[in-house]
Amino acid sequence: MQEKLNQFNLLKKKSEKQVAIGLVIIVVATLLFLTMSSVGSEELGQMLGIIVGLIGGIVALVGAAGFSKVKRTFKTEVLSAFFSEVIPGTDYIPDRGLAPVEVYATEFLKRADRFHSEDLLKGKLDDVDFLSSDVRLEERHVQHTKNGTRVYYVPYFVGRVFRFTFNKEFEGYLQVLEAGSPLTNRDFQKVELESIDFNKKFKTYATTELSAFYVLTPDIMEAIFELEKRNPGRIGLSFAGENLYIAINNNKNTFEIKMFRTIDNAMMEGFKNDLMVIKDFIHTLKLNTKIFKRK
Amino acid sequence: MITLLAGGWIAAIIIAAVILIIIVWYIGVMNQLRQLELKVHEAESGIDVALTKRFDMLTKMLETTKGYAKHEAETLENVVKWRQGIPQNATLKEKEDFLGQLNQVASGINVVVEKYPDLKANTVFLELQSAVANTEEHLQAARRLYNANVTRINHIIVTFPQSIVANAIHMEKKPYFEAEDRKRQDVEFKF
Repeated sequence: MQEKLNQFNLLKKKSEKQVAIGLVIIVVATLLFLTMSSVGSEELGQMLGIIVGLIGGIVALVGAAGFSKVKRTFKTEVLSAFFSEVIPGTDYIPDRGLAPVEVYATEFLKRADRFHSEDLLKGKLDDVDFLSSDVRLEERHVQHTKNGTRVYYVPYFVGRVFRFTFNKEFEGYLQVLEAGSPLTNRDFQKVELESIDFNKKFKTYATTELSAFYVLTPDIMEAIFELEKRNPGRIGLSFAGENLYIAINNNKNTFEIKMFRTIDNAMMEGFKNDLMVIKDFIHTLKLNTKIFKRK
Repeated sequence: MITLLAGGWIAAIIIAAVILIIIVWYIGVMNQLRQLELKVHEAESGIDVALTKRFDMLTKMLETTKGYAKHEAETLENVVKWRQGIPQNATLKEKEDFLGQLNQVASGINVVVEKYPDLKANTVFLELQSAVANTEEHLQAARRLYNANVTRINHIIVTFPQSIVANAIHMEKKPYFEAEDRKRQDVEFKF
């Protein structure tokens, strides 16, 4: 493994070097333009500045493209094998993600004007099927100014969405959303559970009150509290028939190597922790306890 | 004179507004109490449904047990007061007792299972066992929902000034549906 990491660090360094050189050339071009302008050769300064700046830009772009390639190859060659070693049977497909239909099945994430999803993980752990991926949802905004119309996109969800097979059978829907999250998309009944602390921290919506009490036992409420503490960001859970969806809006893009940061054991440990969130969810929410499920 | 008359009118309007506010508030609290009472009744029906499910599942389990341990199964059958399930006019206290009896049967079956390994291996029995565990979860949920609604309505009934409305419409504190956990632990079967 270490050998592979070293190999990728070398490739990464090459691209980083190109980016750094490109940026230095751009700075030089700017300085050249400013110096020439101050001594009266404005036209020459402009021309030289543009030419040198362009060269710098191209070098930096080539470096950035190289880095992207290294990132992709690292995911397919290193992370894929690493993940299936940590959780046997895990399938990691970096350039694929959850389909929009899966993400909107949570029922509390509204339809995006721009949808992006990647880093798909799928597999089975302790007899529980799971799916997970990074998701980015953006809303289209239009601004009318005197110079024309400006269209821009604002992200309202950046994080991870998980889908697990749920271990209890019940009819209808149930949603547990951290207080302050946007309200549910559906006309569900707001449920007040017996725990005042839980009601303060989370808003619960369900098709029937009884199903909310059936799923959210005191143990599970405690577990949701624990999960919320361990996972920074806004958490939302949606229980829909056979599936449990969990979405964490934490403004984080997982499983990404960073520019100018060596790929070391600490970084790999970080990736492992992000993967083990799946195990944590399954065990804390006792999804692997199948006594409620008909065979 | 005109000033006095205008002053009188203002006072009358203020009194009328205060009375109106009180009437609106009274109706509001009364409706809230009635709605909560309805929720308590609905939740009690939920308990009935869950109790019936648990009764049915345990009856099926006893039938399966009979094939292996006839005497023990019949002894356990006699623990339950209502052989046909829960009657419609049963009080909450009677339902609590009924639940206690059902729990005694469930504990008894567990004791029998330990004595008959063949029964433990019976797939139908195993399925029924998980179904019984499921009914217990449903019952817990129904009980918690009922008690949560009782807490809410009782809270209003005892809080001033809402207590005035509760007294006026003769609404009394509702009883909780108590768990029988302690009783279950004390159960000991000698077949």
